[in-house]
Amino acid sequence: MTSFPPADRPPPNDPTTGTAPDLAALRRRLESGGGRRFWRSLEDLAETDDFRRFVEAEFPAVLELSETSRRTFLRLMAAPMMLGGLAACGDMPDEKALPYVNQPEMLVPGKPLYFATAALFEGYAQPVLAETHVGRPTRLEGNPDHPMIGAGSTDAFAQASILELYDPDRSRAITFLGRIATWDAFQGVVVALRERLGENSGGDFRILTETVTSPTLRRQLDDLQRAFPRARVHSFEPVGVALRHQGTRRAFGRPLDVHYRLENAAVVVSLEDDIFGPGPSQVRHAAQWSQRRRDHQQAGNLTRLHVAESTPTLTGALAGATLSVASQRLPVLLAALAGKLGEAGEGTPAAALTPRELSWVSTAADELAAHRGSGLLAVGAHLPAEAQARAHAINHALGNAGATVVYSDPVGLAATDDAGALPALAEAMAAGEVETLVILGANPVYTAPADLDFANRLDRVGLRIHAGIYYDETASNCHWHIPLTHPLESWSDARAVDGTASILQPTVKPLFGGTSVHELLATLLGRLNATAYELVRETWDARLGGEEAGWRQVLSDGFVANSAVATETPAPQVAAEPPATDATDATDAGAASGLEAVFRPDPCVWDGRLGNVAWLQELPKPLTKLTWENVLAVSARLAEELGLGTGDEAELTVNDRSVRGPVWIMPGQAERTVTVFLGYGRSRAGRVGNDAGYNAYAVRTAAEPWTVQDAALRRTGERLRLATTQNHATMAGGDFVRTVSVAEARTAHPDEPPLPTFYPQWDDPKYAWAMSIDLDLCIGCNACVLACQAENNIPVVGKEQVEAGREMHWIRVDRYYEGGLDQPDRTLFQPLPCMHCEKAPCEVGCPVNATVHGPEGLNEMVYNRCVGTRTCASYCPYKVRRFNFFEFGATDSPSIQAQRNPNVTVRARGVMEKCTYCVQRISAARIEAQKQGRAIRDGEVVTACQSACPTQAIVFGNQADPDSAVSRRQQSPRRYALLRELNTRPRTTYQARILNDASDEEA
Amino acid sequence: MADERSVNPQAPTETLPLQPYGSVSDQIAMIPLHYPLRRRWLIGLAASALFTLLLVVAIGYLFYAGVGIWGINSPVFWGLAIANYVWWIGLGNAGTLISALLLLLSQQWRNSLNRFAEAMTLFAVFCAAMFPIIHLGRPWFFYWLLPYPNVMALWPQFRSPLVWDVFANVIYLLVSIIFFYIGLIPDLATVRDKARGRLGQVFFGVLSLGWRGSAAHWQRWRRTYRICAALAVPLVVSVHSGVAMLFSVGQLAGWQTTIFPPYFVMGAMFSGFGVVAMIAVVLRHTFRLDSLVTTRHLDLLAKVLLASGLITSYGYIMDAFTAWYSGDPFERSTLIDRFTGAYAWSYWSAVILNFVVLQGLWFEAVRRNPVLLFLIGASVTTGMWFERYMLVVTTLYHDFLPSSWGWYVATFWDWSLLAGTIGLFFFLFFLFVRFLPMISMFEVKEVLREERVEARNARSQ
Repeated sequence: MTSFPPADRPPPNDPTTGTAPDLAALRRRLESGGGRRFWRSLEDLAETDDFRRFVEAEFPAVLELSETSRRTFLRLMAAPMMLGGLAACGDMPDEKALPYVNQPEMLVPGKPLYFATAALFEGYAQPVLAETHVGRPTRLEGNPDHPMIGAGSTDAFAQASILELYDPDRSRAITFLGRIATWDAFQGVVVALRERLGENSGGDFRILTETVTSPTLRRQLDDLQRAFPRARVHSFEPVGVALRHQGTRRAFGRPLDVHYRLENAAVVVSLEDDIFGPGPSQVRHAAQWSQRRRDHQQAGNLTRLHVAESTPTLTGALAGATLSVASQRLPVLLAALAGKLGEAGEGTPAAALTPRELSWVSTAADELAAHRGSGLLAVGAHLPAEAQARAHAINHALGNAGATVVYSDPVGLAATDDAGALPALAEAMAAGEVETLVILGANPVYTAPADLDFANRLDRVGLRIHAGIYYDETASNCHWHIPLTHPLESWSDARAVDGTASILQPTVKPLFGGTSVHELLATLLGRLNATAYELVRETWDARLGGEEAGWRQVLSDGFVANSAVATETPAPQVAAEPPATDATDATDAGAASGLEAVFRPDPCVWDGRLGNVAWLQELPKPLTKLTWENVLAVSARLAEELGLGTGDEAELTVNDRSVRGPVWIMPGQAERTVTVFLGYGRSRAGRVGNDAGYNAYAVRTAAEPWTVQDAALRRTGERLRLATTQNHATMAGGDFVRTVSVAEARTAHPDEPPLPTFYPQWDDPKYAWAMSIDLDLCIGCNACVLACQAENNIPVVGKEQVEAGREMHWIRVDRYYEGGLDQPDRTLFQPLPCMHCEKAPCEVGCPVNATVHGPEGLNEMVYNRCVGTRTCASYCPYKVRRFNFFEFGATDSPSIQAQRNPNVTVRARGVMEKCTYCVQRISAARIEAQKQGRAIRDGEVVTACQSACPTQAIVFGNQADPDSAVSRRQQSPRRYALLRELNTRPRTTYQARILNDASDEEA
Repeated sequence: MADERSVNPQAPTETLPLQPYGSVSDQIAMIPLHYPLRRRWLIGLAASALFTLLLVVAIGYLFYAGVGIWGINSPVFWGLAIANYVWWIGLGNAGTLISALLLLLSQQWRNSLNRFAEAMTLFAVFCAAMFPIIHLGRPWFFYWLLPYPNVMALWPQFRSPLVWDVFANVIYLLVSIIFFYIGLIPDLATVRDKARGRLGQVFFGVLSLGWRGSAAHWQRWRRTYRICAALAVPLVVSVHSGVAMLFSVGQLAGWQTTIFPPYFVMGAMFSGFGVVAMIAVVLRHTFRLDSLVTTRHLDLLAKVLLASGLITSYGYIMDAFTAWYSGDPFERSTLIDRFTGAYAWSYWSAVILNFVVLQGLWFEAVRRNPVLLFLIGASVTTGMWFERYMLVVTTLYHDFLPSSWGWYVATFWDWSLLAGTIGLFFFLFFLFVRFLPMISMFEVKEVLREERVEARNARSQ
């Protein structure tokens, strides 16, 4: 705690310590003349040390506060922030507040109001319905009416964007050279700038954007280009699709977006293409695959995955046994695959492959050949363009193009050629050709490859203007910083990955002020007073015809009908030449002098842009279950060789640059490949994201952004503490995640009779709520975890507390490995919410009736009654209960408290909590049903986890109704209860995962 | 030392050396009135007060910050606090057994031991009784565990072992206090009569409730005392069974076993007698009470210690056997984990300190050697703490689903509660030996009287 004023400084007016000003001396000084003098106090006049100390104490440096912990800071700052938050609600004149005389239409306290809008991720729209309570957005749901498959669900990023909206660390003021400035002053600068640009037609003017899908922004950028023809727009995305475009340029002569149609794919062969991994397309791919997989469960449509990868991914986890192979070997494998399939170009001689590689290649080739038109060869966007082009050619030759993969013009404006990319900008800056640079949203000082030396080159730009929602690394290196409005609080538009456009409508007045990016562009275009609404409306009036009804329809739908990009199936223009195979001898693979380093976006904070979103920081990464940290993932063999253990610090050196980070032994990692995760080591993310992990960009180069050879790893001898939520990776002989063969999955087996019990049966209720989780559909994506966190006001506890084992997530996704450490046979996921046992052990333990059995089978937690004996949690065999060891919830800053769901209690310190099956949603549905005098319909109650799940693995409903979806699921021969032998009779049941890999069927 | 002869259970007369009644009163009553070792006492009191202060700080910070200051987590929701609780309540067992059970069984040798054993019980139960409250996440609502009438018509959840624990504890504490006080009254009167200073006269005069030693007083006193004893004995069983149920009602491997209630009662008796033996040795040496607490007393204590230790070890063996015999994979893996896992040190410490060291008591020379008996008592007391720790932690840290397996490391604040309660125990005990007669004078005299009669009879034969 910081004492105030600091203890070592005596208060200025303290007669015991302060020295009284020497009055005689003062008089002499006043009398000695020296012009007019003003003085505030005698101390001021005397300029005593005391007065100086007083000034220091009165205005303590902010530094002093930042030394305290984040939580302490929040606690200390709660009151000022609340006031700050209020002040930021707009200009609030001092006036009397009166209740509405006429209630605004549809604004009913207690009734949520939904707005169809979109969250943005990497520039792409994620269509959502924003739930607002009395003008306060609290939660995002997928938009089920949206034409893109999977749009009814959301991924973790979309869920987290609501917290980003409320992030108290967002920038709040226009700054010039780090000092608060005004919009008027900025406009003055722009006017002068426009004058100059008009003279040289923008020859030294550059704009740097991220991926832009917004039609309005593109229109404005086009206008700008027209106004200043020699100006240039660059775009940079640290991860992005630009590399995919390189492949299509090579294959088809022009940049194209690649759209998979996994619902048609019986066989998918992936060369390190993380189809189901996090990213803008995750939800779409997951939903497509799920659709096919559900057919497969019923009818037997094949869904088989073959994955070769250097570092484990969710796609690999779904595939079962993968081939772990160095990234640099993938082109060789591709060539071999092409050879097997009899495609153009020389196949790699079989001798160049190891037996394992050979067997994988032949299986994959056979399967692809056997499923012409229903197979898909997917290659990672980070593979060399030649390899990607070759895969496109193979897909075309096999007849897959058009069936399982289609193409379209790029949805987003990304760098389409080298001249529009970041290196070109960096070079121009170095050459002094850039006098003015406007950076829209991007954070290149942090994310630019290290060899571009971006921060230093930026200093050579005469006028640097940064616009973003955070005062980040780049903002601090720019002259001007313009705080942007969050996508959820301003008018804008964007396209989803399928091209369908959505209008982003504000769900709340800008919380911290800020300017819309469209308004900023309009200013640059000379329109000083255009509002974002007008600008967006202009774009769409031109396209929709300006009809008010049409506009309203678009807003209400949340998307513009039939605006998806036209797909096509172009023929490859150039016969894909064989990639320049550095086909080193197989035995020699990777055993060269150096190691291979591969760069991957972090599955939770991505490229670092989400670094200050606490939910994502604390979200366990799907495979490692790590939080608040990035690691250097290495194989067990390499760790053994270097004497490294998980948590040991190591130094990775790539091209004379090095970073230090903790090592993580990753099962299934290619032997001599080190995976480096982007997105951490930020210095200006905010209080949440600062100084977590290491900065991988420090060793990334523009030339080799994804895979680098000749990396070296060295043990430093330090040990770092990692906060993981799951310390044990195997099932220890249990069958918690069950697997069945295809045959078993389809033959009904007699239901296991219930074990006898002493406890009385509950009455037959009208509703018996139950959940079924299909492990065959779960891809481990974490969407449910964050959806639950957003819905149920689950606090973030911080790294130290996660490390202590006190994370609060109500649903967790357990990850188990089967098989060896080097090459696990299987990676299994198991979402675990409360089981809502009918014979719940927790209910017996509670001495105060704080956890009781509800009439409809819910195991209910009465927070008010809980005294915190923790008996229930000790007795819980599933350990799904979470305890408030500290005052976790109440210390959040007021702006974050505004996100909270008003229908869910915020739990106090010392209270137990756990999954409630979203009881507030059950109540809402019941009230609605009672108003209409009917029973609750099946599907009317959708839990938060269920609504987010892109594969529909989670089904919730009334098991007393034999026709409900959950009852039908429970008829499945794959149904099982976790830890059935304990006779807790859980209401949450699972469906076993079906093994249908080639290897499984052979076995 | 009068008692060098072989022990003859038929001859209780040999318990004490023959001595005038007056010397008994002088030896004991003079301690509170003219305390002999003021300097050492003050040092001891100050040291224990320091630890008591630590306890106050630890509890104060706990109430301010929450139980998160401890090492507990998910899955180890219970840690040192529960282990300490079970340990302290177990230590308290011996006093009640010595005082009440042996009184009802007319074992006269108890009369030299019962007073300080009861005091020990009282203080240990007091230390134990703190834990269920400070262990709560919201300790200010501790009274919700009590069945009191309230407008919300809410009762405790009577299936919960915690509720019964609370009942048993509260009653046990009350009965222990009453029993202790009633037993003290005649002696308080003796001290009152011997007191010279006004302060002592008033203090002991008020406490002795106007005791005059009339036949009617004695008659009523004797009835009350025996009724209290009859109440206390079943309470010992219920308290420790209740504590056992705290664990065995849960379904966790290593907890859910039917042997726990008797096992806990015996374990409590075992550890309690270990402490009584230690205290007896120390008091006897410090205040030169060899003629009142004789080697025969030590011998008897050692025998009870040995017997209860053997029964407890039977509990260990049966616990392991049933875990193995059940064939339940979770039970077995917990068992193996106790033998070899991360917390195996706590298991083997318990086994060695409790049972290996104990075997020395088969030899009479060891039983009658105060130093050795003290060391064995200390070993048992420590060993039983390890056992409590092992029971709480090994079951919780590896339960059913490996995904939720965790670990447990006690923090400074965990340890400060243990150190603090030990400090408090000593603090109270120092006050006890200073201000109250630490051995029951009138009961010792009763033994002497019987011995005299027997001696006279023997002479006249």
